[in-house]
Amino acid sequence: MADVNKIDAPALAGKRRAFVLAEDRVGHYPEFRAFFSMTFDLDRQGLAEPGYVSSPSGLIYVLVFIGRSGEPFPAGIEIYALPDALEPLDDAAVDRDLWAILRWMIAGVGGEWTVEKLEQTGSLLRIPAALDDSARKD
Amino acid sequence: MSAIELPDSMRVQWPWRARSARVNGWRVSYVDEGTGDPVVLLHGNPTWGFLYRDFIKPLMAAGHRVVVPDMIGFGLSEKPTREQAHSLDGHIANLTALMRQLDLKKITLVCHDWGGPTGFGFAITDPHRIKALVIMSTWAWPLPPAEFHTRVMPWRMMHAPLVGPYLLGRHNALAARGVYLSVVDRNKFKVRGRTAYDAILPDQAARLLTWTWPRWIPLDDTARAFDRFAWLERELPKIDRPAMIIWGREDDVFDYETFSARFKKMLPQAEGPHLVTGRHFLQEDSGPEIAKLIVDFLVRNTTRG
Repeated sequence: MADVNKIDAPALAGKRRAFVLAEDRVGHYPEFRAFFSMTFDLDRQGLAEPGYVSSPSGLIYVLVFIGRSGEPFPAGIEIYALPDALEPLDDAAVDRDLWAILRWMIAGVGGEWTVEKLEQTGSLLRIPAALDDSARKD
Repeated sequence: MSAIELPDSMRVQWPWRARSARVNGWRVSYVDEGTGDPVVLLHGNPTWGFLYRDFIKPLMAAGHRVVVPDMIGFGLSEKPTREQAHSLDGHIANLTALMRQLDLKKITLVCHDWGGPTGFGFAITDPHRIKALVIMSTWAWPLPPAEFHTRVMPWRMMHAPLVGPYLLGRHNALAARGVYLSVVDRNKFKVRGRTAYDAILPDQAARLLTWTWPRWIPLDDTARAFDRFAWLERELPKIDRPAMIIWGREDDVFDYETFSARFKKMLPQAEGPHLVTGRHFLQEDSGPEIAKLIVDFLVRNTTRG
């Protein structure tokens, strides 16, 4: 499987931000907030820049970090795909990309959060991307 | 009114008129049928009034008014699209507002899952409206959590940051799959129930409460709902009303030995536990049997009273 990697800001001309996923409470388990803070240097960057990651489909995704008064930063995250401005999204590809981003995130959070447990949970819940992963391993 | 259309096979089982009211800033949908002292049936996550489809007719036939609210965020009620719209206190206030608006008294409150903490919160707030309590697969104390709720796989992973919105939001996994895994007779459930829980949450944003509620379950003493649950534990035993405990033998979320025993200790006057076939969503496996238990319980207590 192609990896998800943090990348520099791409050229945005001719692209649009297509909203795909939102998390209002990234610090519910604080180690997740710590992962994003460390990966994107958010203690220094603050709200100045979003984060960018590559994905298996080749689409680039933007991670927009949300601040909320009285809460540690980031409080939330929005994820956008960056397709060509007028092109519709391939929903199945986006779904696989998001699954890959979750795998990348869980691997980065570490500790008791393991990719194996994510895969097991996804398979138990019959998530197509997780079942695809499982089939590839068999 | 909601534009959500139930499949015909489900509509046959749920012929009740959806009424609505404004409560605490939100539109709540509820069923209100029959006459007599009210029985209020409270569901939890990720279900809605449909969970009680086998209860309404027998309770009406036994001379009761039956009120079944869909919790704000579920069923045919309004579904806020921001996590910050939901809190345990807010949901208690939602229910309290509806009960006061309908001016219900002599209520038998039937509580399941999050219908427990919200229902108990209302009962403690307005005890003069309560006649009896029926308690099923729920909890009312801060710690310890159910062992199931401490596990990363699958419970905590299911609602982890970003994972929750993906699994339970994009894929509706709790309503479409989680309930299925938490009944005993899955074949019967596939035919009789599954579509009704899946179809009522058609859009990603509409499913928000399915991953928000799990984040309100206290896992340690830093939890944001810790104090409210401590209040529930302290105050619920003061509700000196007839009570009945009903549990699923196969419940692997709130195991009956631990959880029904703790309720029995809190409410020593409670009957039971009456054990029925059922995992967490015991109404799906034993709906008519539970309805009869409630009818008989109310007959006994009316006779005594």
